[in-house]
Amino acid sequence: MTVTALALALLAATAPAPPPYAGAYQPVGVDEIGAWAEADEDERQLALSPLLIRDAALDAYVRRALCDTVGAARCAGVRVYVLRVPLFNASMAANGTMRVFSGLLLRARSEAELGAVLGHEFGHFERRHTLAQFRAQRTGSDLLGWGAVLAAMVPDADLRRRFATLGRSVYGALYRFSRDQEREADRLGIGYLNASRLRPQAAAQLWHSAIAEAGASAVARGAHRPRLDRIGFYASHPPEAERAATLDALALPDATDRDDGADRHADALAPWLPLFLDDQIKLNDFGASAYLIAACAARGWTAALWRARGDLYRARGNPHDLVNAARFYAQATALDPSLAAAQRGLGLALVRTGRLAEGQAALRRYLALDPAAGDATMIAALIAAPEDR
Amino acid sequence: MRYPLLPALLMLLPAPADANAYRAQGKPVRVARTMTVTPPRDWNQLSARPGRKAEVWTLDGERLNAVTWFGGIAPGEPLLREPRRRRTLPRYSDAMLLAEIPELLESTYRSAGGIADFTLTTAASDPFLGHAGIRFGYAYVDADDLPRRGEARAAIVAGLLYIVTFDAPRTDYFDRLLGDVHRLTDSAAL
Repeated sequence: MTVTALALALLAATAPAPPPYAGAYQPVGVDEIGAWAEADEDERQLALSPLLIRDAALDAYVRRALCDTVGAARCAGVRVYVLRVPLFNASMAANGTMRVFSGLLLRARSEAELGAVLGHEFGHFERRHTLAQFRAQRTGSDLLGWGAVLAAMVPDADLRRRFATLGRSVYGALYRFSRDQEREADRLGIGYLNASRLRPQAAAQLWHSAIAEAGASAVARGAHRPRLDRIGFYASHPPEAERAATLDALALPDATDRDDGADRHADALAPWLPLFLDDQIKLNDFGASAYLIAACAARGWTAALWRARGDLYRARGNPHDLVNAARFYAQATALDPSLAAAQRGLGLALVRTGRLAEGQAALRRYLALDPAAGDATMIAALIAAPEDR
Repeated sequence: MRYPLLPALLMLLPAPADANAYRAQGKPVRVARTMTVTPPRDWNQLSARPGRKAEVWTLDGERLNAVTWFGGIAPGEPLLREPRRRRTLPRYSDAMLLAEIPELLESTYRSAGGIADFTLTTAASDPFLGHAGIRFGYAYVDADDLPRRGEARAAIVAGLLYIVTFDAPRTDYFDRLLGDVHRLTDSAAL
C-alpha cells in the first residue's frame, strides 16, 4: 500500500480517543513480573548514570510536556529521566521509566512536538508493548529452535531449504509485529494530543522535520537522499513518510489554532541549547547540524547560535568555511562581546585564514574573558608566535 | 580450482605481523610504521588496529589502559577506520592549528563512539618527537557509563600528524599509569 493510499484509508477512520485508564497498574504473571524486575534494576542504574542531566527546571518542563499530552492521571505513574545523548529518541520501560534524550529536545520545536513523542512512548507503556514483544520473540525463537531440531533429524536438502524459509518468515513477522506496535503507539499518541490542549498537527511536523534533516545530512555528504517512504524488511519502525502522513491524517482538523507551546519549549531549552548544539556539531554530521541550527534560528539568531554555526564551519575547515566561520563568530561577538568561546573561535579562524593581527587580538580577548581556561597556555603560545602555528 | 579450501585455510594460520605482541623493556621498536619507541617497561601491543595508521599498546586490556599511537596521518585522512562509503569521521587537515588538534580528537571520539559527555580539560604547548607539539587532557564517559580520563600529545611534522593518546578509567587506572605513559611517550622519536 502506498503512503498516500494508507493516509487516505486512515482519513476515513476517526482519530481514536484515549482508552479509559486504570491507574496504578501492577505486573501480572511471571513474564511481566520478570520484565518489571529487570526494568527496576535498570532504573536504579539509570539514576546513577553520569549521562543523567540533573536539572530540576528542565525535568519539570519535560514532565509538563508529558502531563499536558497524556493527562494528569496517566502522567502520575511515570518517572522521567533526561539523558545527555545526542540522538533523536526517547523510550519507555515496562515499569514506567521514561528516558528522554537531549537529541530529541534539540529537535522538537515546541512542547506539542515533544509531547507527540512522549505520548507515543506512553502509548507503548499503556499497551504493554514490551511484554508483547518479548512473548512474540520467545514464540518465534521456540518455533525456530524446534524447527532446527526436527530438520536435523531428517537428512533431506529440501527440508533444510524449507527451514530457511521458515526462519525468514519468523523474522519478517517479528519485524512487522514491531512496526505494527509502533503504528498503534502513533495512533495512541495522536489520540492523547487530540484530547489535550496542545496542537496535534505538531506530531506530523516533527516527522517532516526529521525527513528534511535526513535529506540535508545526505546532501552534505554527497550521498543520495534516503528513501524514507519504503518499508525495509528489517525495519523496526514504519517509514518516516508514512508516519508523517498518518499523523497528519489523524490530527483533529479543527485544533489547528491551539497553542503548540513553542515559546515554553524555547525558554526551557535556552540554558541547555549551547551544550546540546555542541554535542550535535561534534558528531561530524555537517548537513544535519546546519539544518538544526537554522531551525533553531527561525526564532531569531542569538550569539549562541552564531557561535555554534562558526564552530560547525571551522570544524569542516575548507578555506571558504573558515572565512564564513570568522564571519559567524564576528556576529556572535557583536551580539555578546563577553562570549569567550566565540572570541576563541574567531581568533582561530582568523589565524587560519592568515589575518594574524586580528586573530591575535581576538585570542587576547578570549584569555581576558576566561583567564583560567584549560587551554590558556596553548593559546598564549599561539598569540606569541602565530606563524609557528 | 584444485584446492578450493586453500584460501580459507591460509586465513586460519596465525600471521606473525598481526599477532598480539610483547614489547620488551629497553628494546627499541617501530610503532605505527613511523615512530621509534624504547619502552621503559614491558608493554603489550594489540593486533587489532583501530585505524590504518594506528596501533594500540596496553598493560591490562584496552578498556583499562590503552596507549594509542597514530603515525603520520595525512591531510584528508581520519584517525580511525570507518565504514566504507560512509564518511562519518572528521578529517585531519594540514591547515589545522596545533591548538585545534584536541577538537579533532574530541570529534573523532564523539562520532566514532556516540559519546555525548566529552570535555577537554587542559592544553599546553609541549614538544613531542623533537618538534613543536601540544599536550592536552580530557575526560569522557564511554558507552559503558564508566567515566574515563585521557591525555594526549601531538605534533605536526612535514604536514603529517602524529598523536599518542592514553585512555583509562578515571578511578585508579589513569593516575597509576600516567607516569609510565609519560616515560614511554618521552622515548618516542621519528
